[in-house]
Amino acid sequence: MTRIDSSRIVAYAGLAAFGLVAGLVAGRVELVAVAAPLALAAVVGAGLVRDPGVSATLTLDRERALEGDDVGGTIALSSAAPVDRLELYVSLPRELQLVEGNPRAISLAASRTLDVALRCERWGAFAVGPVALRARDRLGFHSWEAVAGGAQPLRVYPSAETVRALLAPLETQVFVGNQTARTKGDGIEFADIREWTPGDRVRSINWRATARRGELHVNQQHPERNTDVVLFLDTFTDVHHGMRGTLDMTVRAATSIAHRYLQRKDRVGVVSFGGFLSWLLPESGTRQLYRIVDSLLQMDVVLSFAAKGIDILPPRTLPPKALVLALSPLLDRRSAAALLDLRARGFDLVVIEVSPVPFVDPGAGELAQLAYRLWRLSRESLRMRYEQAGVPVVTWQDGQALNVVLEEVTAFRRHAVLTRA
Amino acid sequence: MILATLALIAYAGVIVEAAARATSVAALIGALGAVGVLMLVFVLWRADDELLPWALLLAGLGYGLSLAVRHGGVAEGAPLVGAGLLLCGELVSWSLDERFAIEADRSIVAARGGALAGLVLGGVLLGGLVLAVAAAPLGGGLGWTVVGAAAVVALLGLAARLSRS
Repeated sequence: MTRIDSSRIVAYAGLAAFGLVAGLVAGRVELVAVAAPLALAAVVGAGLVRDPGVSATLTLDRERALEGDDVGGTIALSSAAPVDRLELYVSLPRELQLVEGNPRAISLAASRTLDVALRCERWGAFAVGPVALRARDRLGFHSWEAVAGGAQPLRVYPSAETVRALLAPLETQVFVGNQTARTKGDGIEFADIREWTPGDRVRSINWRATARRGELHVNQQHPERNTDVVLFLDTFTDVHHGMRGTLDMTVRAATSIAHRYLQRKDRVGVVSFGGFLSWLLPESGTRQLYRIVDSLLQMDVVLSFAAKGIDILPPRTLPPKALVLALSPLLDRRSAAALLDLRARGFDLVVIEVSPVPFVDPGAGELAQLAYRLWRLSRESLRMRYEQAGVPVVTWQDGQALNVVLEEVTAFRRHAVLTRA
Repeated sequence: MILATLALIAYAGVIVEAAARATSVAALIGALGAVGVLMLVFVLWRADDELLPWALLLAGLGYGLSLAVRHGGVAEGAPLVGAGLLLCGELVSWSLDERFAIEADRSIVAARGGALAGLVLGGVLLGGLVLAVAAAPLGGGLGWTVVGAAAVVALLGLAARLSRS
């Protein structure tokens, strides 16, 4: 441990020496009497030098938690000598808070175990610790400082919002799933009736239609298929106010949507399109959910001026017929262009605009207000470009339920189909 | 805030004691005390204890001045003046320590208060012992001067060792 002495011991010793010399020179015993308490303090202070040799070990009850959870842990403390005042400070990111207060001071006889509770206020992958220790003598003349305990990993998963209705893709894949395909084949959902052809199974004959028309007719069904969903996350920019921001909303929405699609046996992939490019190939199952959430926890905005298009993505990240669900604040030209490129390549694209507007201060001045209005207009213009390309764009404001946004996309698509008809 | 106020009260007590005992130089002592109080306020305001010894020294000088102009016997209140200066310094230091919002057990605060009280009381007793020894018919001379010089050397040595470490 590193020892730090208070400068006041030296001051007391110096003042006492000055008083003694003055007393000797002037022949006044009162000055010696005045110096005596200060001399006593200096001697007592010098006598309190004793390294307590404090060590600490931090352990957490678990490595994974959900947002809002309290994670328990212990700090095991031991010392070679009793410590009158031991100050502890657990190094924490701002998203985690110690329930008991941080820092705190305790007394330590020889060994002690402190129970701590960490409140996970926001999602993320964090390192908890190390523990900064400062042992002080009773009068605060000396202190010993050390850093102990190491860092413990803690992953806090975002709480998933309940998503009731999901977006149905225009086309399904060939594997079995829960999504009713638009094509006809073996399935449960009734699709149509047609005339019997050799090879049709007897059990598919519609006897009522056959009796009415005098010829064999068979039922046709929509098969249940799975879908490929690619969550295209724009991580070029983040507009935030405090802990809430566009990236935070994006991660929360991606988690909720991925969770729901994977529950439905669909395959879900993730493309993080930003300064730092990362992707997960579409897969299904619970393991994929953990993979996705783990990758989302690492997500951050990395400043980059490199021009990027979807050409740099591996081909398998965007399988044919996949529904591409883009979550973007529509602030970076590169992501806006990439999305239009995806649409031009025939992908079934839906853009959820994670609105940065609530996090932007319009400013007070006339010029600032004008700039703000121009910025809003340019955003409107960009949205129009998407809509002209046949891409549904819905705005998601902070505090709005994700269900509302998804319903809005469904309504847009329904409207588009009717218009075409 | 309470500790800082108590420190200022202790300091003011020393100055008032010195000025009351020497009315002829009360204005000068008051001026020294005022400068010392300003220094203390600066120390407390800026949380920087560099000026603390100088503030204590000014109060000590004021008391020395009152002794110099005073006629009569030994001032019995000297140990209390020394204890007052020590109390002031310790309370200022404690106040500065409490600036950091550290949640502490009540027993730790009580322990420091008790230790401080013990230290101040010990200082008063030691000062009183010095006055008692001086008043006792033990004879004067070179022996006591040597003891005093040895004490000075020991204190300076202690200060040098601590400031080096």
